[in-house]
Amino acid sequence: MTFKPLALLMLTAAAALAQPSFEAPPPPTAPVADAGRRQADYFQRVDEVLNWRAARIDLKDPAKSLDMGAIAVLLTRNEHVDLCSQRVIALMKEPGTGPFWMFPTVCVAYAGRDRLSPEARSAIREAWRTARQLRGDTENHWVMYYASLYLMAELYPDEPAASWYSGKTSAENLAEARGFLLHWMDLTTTVGQGEYNPCHYIGEYAIPLLFLSTWSRDPEMRQRGHMMLDWLFAELANNTLNGVLRGPNSRADEGTAIERWNALTSYFCWLLFGNTPAPAGYGGWGVYFAPLAKNYQVPEVIYRLATDRPDDYVQRDRARTRRRWRYSDELSPAVYKTNYLRRDYAVGSTQGGLIDPIQTHAWDVTWAEPDPRGKHNTLFSLHPHSSPRAMQAYFSTYPEAMITAVTFEGKPSYDSPDKILGSSPFERIFQDLDTVVALYDIPPGERFPQVNGFFSKDLVNVTESPSGWIFAQGGNTYLAYRPLAPYHWIPYLHYAGGWAKEKLPVGGRLLVSPHLKNGTIVQAASAAEFPSFAAFQAAVTALPLQFSLEPVPTVRLTTLRGRQISFTHGQTPSVNGTPVDYAAWKLFEGPHLNAEVGGRRLTITHGRLERVLDFNTLTITDRVLPPAGR
Amino acid sequence: MNRFPRLLALLPLLVLPAFAAGAATPAHDLYLFGTLNSRGRVAGSRDTALNGLFRRAADGSFAHCGVNYPAMLAGSFDPRDVRVGYVAALSGVLSTTDGGQTWRIATGWDVTEPKGVCVDPSAPDTVYAALPDGVLVSADRGRTWARREHGLPARGKYTQVVTVDRTRAGRVLAGCETGIYLTEDGARSWRVVQPTRETVNDLQQSPHDPQLWLAATQSAGALVSRDGGRTWQALPGVPSARALYNVAFDPARPARIALASWTYGLLTSEDGGATWTERNAGLPASHQVWRTAIDPDDGRLYAAVESEALYLSGDFGRTWQNAGLPGSRIQSFAFVPKAQP
Repeated sequence: MTFKPLALLMLTAAAALAQPSFEAPPPPTAPVADAGRRQADYFQRVDEVLNWRAARIDLKDPAKSLDMGAIAVLLTRNEHVDLCSQRVIALMKEPGTGPFWMFPTVCVAYAGRDRLSPEARSAIREAWRTARQLRGDTENHWVMYYASLYLMAELYPDEPAASWYSGKTSAENLAEARGFLLHWMDLTTTVGQGEYNPCHYIGEYAIPLLFLSTWSRDPEMRQRGHMMLDWLFAELANNTLNGVLRGPNSRADEGTAIERWNALTSYFCWLLFGNTPAPAGYGGWGVYFAPLAKNYQVPEVIYRLATDRPDDYVQRDRARTRRRWRYSDELSPAVYKTNYLRRDYAVGSTQGGLIDPIQTHAWDVTWAEPDPRGKHNTLFSLHPHSSPRAMQAYFSTYPEAMITAVTFEGKPSYDSPDKILGSSPFERIFQDLDTVVALYDIPPGERFPQVNGFFSKDLVNVTESPSGWIFAQGGNTYLAYRPLAPYHWIPYLHYAGGWAKEKLPVGGRLLVSPHLKNGTIVQAASAAEFPSFAAFQAAVTALPLQFSLEPVPTVRLTTLRGRQISFTHGQTPSVNGTPVDYAAWKLFEGPHLNAEVGGRRLTITHGRLERVLDFNTLTITDRVLPPAGR
Repeated sequence: MNRFPRLLALLPLLVLPAFAAGAATPAHDLYLFGTLNSRGRVAGSRDTALNGLFRRAADGSFAHCGVNYPAMLAGSFDPRDVRVGYVAALSGVLSTTDGGQTWRIATGWDVTEPKGVCVDPSAPDTVYAALPDGVLVSADRGRTWARREHGLPARGKYTQVVTVDRTRAGRVLAGCETGIYLTEDGARSWRVVQPTRETVNDLQQSPHDPQLWLAATQSAGALVSRDGGRTWQALPGVPSARALYNVAFDPARPARIALASWTYGLLTSEDGGATWTERNAGLPASHQVWRTAIDPDDGRLYAAVESEALYLSGDFGRTWQNAGLPGSRIQSFAFVPKAQP
């Protein structure tokens, strides 16, 4: 079964009225040094969300505009409480069926626990008795479901099994929810998140965690919620470029894959860091974070990760794939992520292979744009893989029905040859600094025997060189793209939203290379590093490059950074003759985030600031490190 | 879990002509586990159709029972008291003690998406569940559960079905990703009795001969065992390139068997599996048959055609009539002896 936050889409589509942060020029990206000013700015942004949502309520027609998000906002502001009560009673007559209904209802139940009328509170309670709730089938569903169940079981303790949809007592529900939440936190802090670097899905984690950190009666769960928020936002901050999440994602969608800013992550970056425009309608779900947002503020060390980037850096992390029920020796094999962030651009990748079969975005080069709205500021390639076997690996389904179901349920591009989303078992990727080598060994008989390269409408000076390199410029970034097999161009057509039925021209082209043995090499550099675009082209062209496609794709090249890469599909890559030792990779390793596999302990560092999140002791420890050299 | 609104439980969904006034009262209750709006439902949305468990009423109509739950896949009932039942559902194994009026999610957070469930008829306190990652057993009517997977492979134990040998307590066959596994000690230990390359989708014991078992598989066609599941052979004449979803014996006529398949539609044999015939004439052109069943009371053949309707044949597939439930996905059938007054 596939779920999709329909309300998010509806809100996003309808939302653009009088939203200052969405309509105004982009905010400055430089950090705010003064702590008081930072907090005041943050609170101002929170209030903007609340004001915006409250202003959209038509008090004369609450049935149309007073949804659970709006009710939560009004209750937070202590406005129109009687109307909220009436509306809650009406809404609870037709309760929903799963985690996307549960957590908004929890938000209203808690925000209104001292304000809603007894009848309204009873209506909520009755809905939790009568309406069965599906738990869902993936990580974000479960976090929402169990955080919601946990809080409702705390709100209504000591009640009998007959009073809950689950047929379990309050104590049983609480114990089950706590069991899952601790398990998930343990998994995430030892071997990494399954839905790592989520684009829209970040809200499905951040919002329930904020609820737990604010409302849980149990101080341990409050602390855990707070620490997991720090963990989540530290990783977000470290992977953004001026507030735009880029690089690999376990689960993205077509819009986010090409317009990298257009994701719920940008709402959180705007809200927490203030360094990018807010998305339309605050991304929809953002409304549920805002009522409680003043109870949480990112520490300065995380804030500076996002906003204060004096140096380039490489961050290597581990995560895990979505659960593989079948056709795999491991339930959730490790994902190895490499990210290289610079002022003008960032490069990010995984090692390739199947991760999430439908929504994975495996690698890209994304360049900075002064105003990222509407900009397709990214370059990448992929094999458009679609197979019943992949569906059966990840879903408990028969081979035939799932592909059709997926395309009906919010992932329409899955079975399209010209898609730009999803992972492939036949793709292998290696990244060293700002060079990416993606190799493809696609077996005969594959449904879509081709490699797609995404070339944005926002690239300029696209030049197909006789050398075989394709050169282009995006923002202040020079790009070199080398397809390893012949190709042709087609217009890029885009599903505008998860349930879209038709593809739209949104600009840009696809480089389609219809060859089974294939590959892509990309190198990037700042324009400032070369006297001219021509000089960049000459430098790339002059680099030693050898490749062959038979029997399997193999590349040996010297990068612009002078490093020698050897990479053969299916084999361990090497740099300057040293094989990459993936087994030795830590959970996080870089100048800013460090954690051991199995450690349950994340050290966040920026300059002299340090915060340690230790789930072994449930402590948050802040330090100011001695000045360098002392 | 609480009672679904009584009004809905009374809503007639389908009236089967043969069960109209004057027809003989069937000896079995027929339960369907299914989804009526299988496409495009959205988590958090309000369901606009009935889903879950449907029971055939005395007049032949189908009525929704209990909770509106769109992901009930298969069920099994306690032979001592058929009001006690278990259902494999998206959120875990659900249990009921009142004939489906109320349900409890019997399993915990660590159990997801069970595919099948089976009560041991010789030891009905014991319930087995087929999970995407193994096998789960309860020895106390679903109150507590434990993994019992010794002998199953560490990987490759995706389990689509568990079926208990009705002649011996604790003797169970499991259809897994890597083959058919047998336990004879209540799942304390398992051994592979027939390896397969892909999932075994169904396992059924003949109602006439307890030594005779049939398996429907994803890519090995249909398999037969004549020694109680210890050894297996391919059943000739059954295609194997595409998946078979389930197999049904005719409880009244030993020679009659049916197979359901998305690709091949409805296959029948009337000579004990020696020869097979496609019986798709009269079904929708797609004839993607998700499930088949044979009524133990009158021998009528059912074909649940994916997203089309339930079809019914009085002549074992030679002709079909649309029996309603448009747009449905019927996940499974269960014929349960009627409760004694």
